[in-house]
Amino acid sequence: MGENTIITESDLRHILRRTGFGPTPKDFSKADHLIGQTRGVAADYVLGLNRKVLKAKGKENLDVHNKWVKHLLKGKTPFIDKTVLFWHDHFSVSANVVDIPEAMTLHLINHYTYALGNFKDYVKAINKDAAMMVFLNTVDNEKAIPNENYPRELCELFTLGVFDLNGVENYAQEDIVQIARAFTGWRVEDDGVPFLNTNQHDYEIDFPERGPKAIFDNAHGFPPGGGSFTTSGEGEAEIDVVIDLIFDHLDSDGMNTVARRTAFRLLEFFAYANPDKTIVDEVVSGSSFDSSWNIEALIREIMVHDAFFETAATPPFVATTKKSVKWPIDYVVSTMRLTRTKAKGKFLILRGGQELELVDHLGNMGQIIGDPPSVFGWDWEAGWISSSTLLARYTFARDIINNRESGAFKPKRLMDLSLTDPGEIADAVTDVLGVTDQLTSIERDHLIDYLTDNGASPVLDLGDEDVLNTKLHGLFALVMQSPAYQLH
Amino acid sequence: MAITRRQFLKRAGVAAAGTVMAPSLFGSPLVRRAFADTIGDRYLVILFLNGGNDGLNTVIPIDDSAGMLTDYNLARLGGGGGLRITPGQASVPSIVPCTDPGTGTALGFHPGFASTIPMLGGLSEMYDAGNVAVVQGTGYPDYSLSHESSRIIWQNANPAGLPSIASTGWAGRHLAQEYGPLDVRGVTIDNSIAGEMRTTGTSVLAIRRLSRFGFPLDDYEELDETIYKDSYSDLYSEAGGSAQPLTSLVGSAGQATLESTESYPPLDEKYENERSAFDDAYGALGTSTARDLREIAKVIYGVSSGEPGVNARFFQLDNGGYDTHSDQGGADPNGRHYELHSEVSNAVDLFFKDMNDMGVGSKVTMVIWSEFSRRIPQNSNGTDHGSQGPMFVIGESVNGGVYGNHPNIDPLALDTRENTVYSQDAIDPFRSTDFRDVFGTLLKHWVNMSEGDILTNVMPLDIGPAATYWTVQDFDMGFL
Repeated sequence: MGENTIITESDLRHILRRTGFGPTPKDFSKADHLIGQTRGVAADYVLGLNRKVLKAKGKENLDVHNKWVKHLLKGKTPFIDKTVLFWHDHFSVSANVVDIPEAMTLHLINHYTYALGNFKDYVKAINKDAAMMVFLNTVDNEKAIPNENYPRELCELFTLGVFDLNGVENYAQEDIVQIARAFTGWRVEDDGVPFLNTNQHDYEIDFPERGPKAIFDNAHGFPPGGGSFTTSGEGEAEIDVVIDLIFDHLDSDGMNTVARRTAFRLLEFFAYANPDKTIVDEVVSGSSFDSSWNIEALIREIMVHDAFFETAATPPFVATTKKSVKWPIDYVVSTMRLTRTKAKGKFLILRGGQELELVDHLGNMGQIIGDPPSVFGWDWEAGWISSSTLLARYTFARDIINNRESGAFKPKRLMDLSLTDPGEIADAVTDVLGVTDQLTSIERDHLIDYLTDNGASPVLDLGDEDVLNTKLHGLFALVMQSPAYQLH
Repeated sequence: MAITRRQFLKRAGVAAAGTVMAPSLFGSPLVRRAFADTIGDRYLVILFLNGGNDGLNTVIPIDDSAGMLTDYNLARLGGGGGLRITPGQASVPSIVPCTDPGTGTALGFHPGFASTIPMLGGLSEMYDAGNVAVVQGTGYPDYSLSHESSRIIWQNANPAGLPSIASTGWAGRHLAQEYGPLDVRGVTIDNSIAGEMRTTGTSVLAIRRLSRFGFPLDDYEELDETIYKDSYSDLYSEAGGSAQPLTSLVGSAGQATLESTESYPPLDEKYENERSAFDDAYGALGTSTARDLREIAKVIYGVSSGEPGVNARFFQLDNGGYDTHSDQGGADPNGRHYELHSEVSNAVDLFFKDMNDMGVGSKVTMVIWSEFSRRIPQNSNGTDHGSQGPMFVIGESVNGGVYGNHPNIDPLALDTRENTVYSQDAIDPFRSTDFRDVFGTLLKHWVNMSEGDILTNVMPLDIGPAATYWTVQDFDMGFL
């Protein structure tokens, strides 16, 4: 199973769901020639989808957020959009903390530029990303007392992780102290251009008591004395050399630490939580990610791996079946695209129910993109699920189907309203929402019970406004609120 | 149009017949109830100071009898004198003695603990009323400087990283032992369930605001409410019985949510109507901590007045912003640390005044913690991540005073990271307090768990040298 496995219709829906938002019937029909072809061909199709660097400008943080969401709703560049969401969580920056909308615009440009490029270059770009430099205090890093905030997260979150896949520590506090020295004096101009203020830089000659500028002393594949980051001279080059050293770090299995951890996290994003080490190693070696650092190649390797297709499993589910909880942004964007619902105006108001802005719906669900809760990004999987966030999802679903007067939600544009058989109607609705193959027969029966009032009305006339408004709109809400629809 | 319990149960029963494992909607009345409700008629509130609160500037040495003030000044006078709080600026209790047990050093509080708001005295006044226990030097062996790692260690009470307790919280393990998966005893005031409340099942609600906790129905669905909710309930009951872990988790969460959306939202209006003066007072403070505590007050008011379907006893809230790498400020009222302390101090004082007025003042205990303290020497106007710091246990039933020793801030005693050192050495005047002894004392004396149960089911002892690991418990610290 792998590269040459033939894909089915269900596989294709899964591929498009996990690498985009939907898929809508249009997304699907463009790709349906892939059914019967290999996973490799399908992966190349996804990799070949349009890409464009998003320039989300605005006077306020909210403008940037809304332009970003609007871009996702258009769905012209789904694969890179989805991948950028991963990197936004990975290199987490909160717009409200940074509070410089122009910096967030540049930050997003950085993500779109590097999201599928070279990971080492990406991290070097993040070193000098204005929003990140403000968010994690690089701009406050002075030679007198080096600030450890960015250096710690660089190691812990962006590259190595505190522990490797065997639970062994990847670095010591002394490494953080040394790395902090490299970043002393880095500042940013008003237009977002970074520069080194040499007056605030820690030069070895000024601070001999801090020792030689080196990390990973006699550990992690480095010799006694460690790897020096002044090999290209002191000053500007140090923060690049530090990254080169981190990318040479070996874990307790003697494997490349950054490659393994990055692959692990991408697998968690595109497939499911806690993949086995063997799967991680297979996608790293298959893509040579530990030497090429080519993100696109790594994701392609994930997309042809059995692990990627595991969450597409159909019922009955067993204890070892893999599933993943949809991110709120995925839930909102996919649902709006699948139901052909539009948000109105600059503030992206969803015109139903409470007439909330999308940012409020998303906030209630626990994910305002551009404003993660902390540098750790969001807590995935079970972390998305609580009574509060479920009710936020239900409210959003209710507001979608409530949007009748302005005509935004029109079931007749989505399915055949001449259907009268409750089973066929239920199937048509679950087809629109893409969960037909995820429901057990008992769950399908519950949907039919709802339509027929437990069998009291075995035939439905969707031409009757009351039946349409109550039962069909209700069924859409029920499916959007169902357990199966929260997962993928 | 409100659906009755009977209708629900009937439908849930039909669904359960098809799936052997499916739990009933209202919690299993069987197995779990063999245990007693050990918290009884009491309440526990957990307040997390998110980001790493600077303990050294929270409980401050104000005399130099053991040289600690000299060390403090040395650490906090550098970098332009930014962070130092002088003995004259500190808020010093005058009635209940406030002295470090280890060295006899007199202690004061951050000036933000003294309220300038009419009718409120803040934590300083509560301390003088004997209702605040300060537990100094709390931490754990081999401390982590990572926010996330350290927070998870505290929430899971799992410094050793034992896999068996790696995905559940300390309070959650108590809940899982005592209650069925749909028996809701815990409420987190947030979008997501707090780490310390995580259980293997889901008996915890995450509620941001009660007023928005109703089940959302469309006008047409309202006409169809019974069958709609029945179908919802059937779908979630089916999922709840799934062998697939995430499907099952979503299923139980949805079932508990539906039930609670009937019983919890009315508490909002009840409180507003019957306790409008306090309702307004929280609003006047206007801070997120005040608003969050008001939601907890509403629930406690509902539980204590016997509202049906409302049984929460454990609450969690957090206040963020303590990661003061920069702009921390010392005694300046405009400084960030000052604002944070002032916010919490005022809100907590008001909350307990509310509890007293409700008649449950002696039934509520609050514990305040943070994932770590901060570096002893300051940077320019902030502090990096550190190790042991103070916790607070608050309530009318608490024996106020200072427990545990101040960490040793002598520069020569600091470790290579310039942080204070964790010690369990019995003769060390700076012996640390393992945070598990604080939680253990709460579980034993407030929740009434036996020591054996706590050690077996909630927090196992460490394995390691007795002087540097938590190998002997002390669940009788004396503050309860």
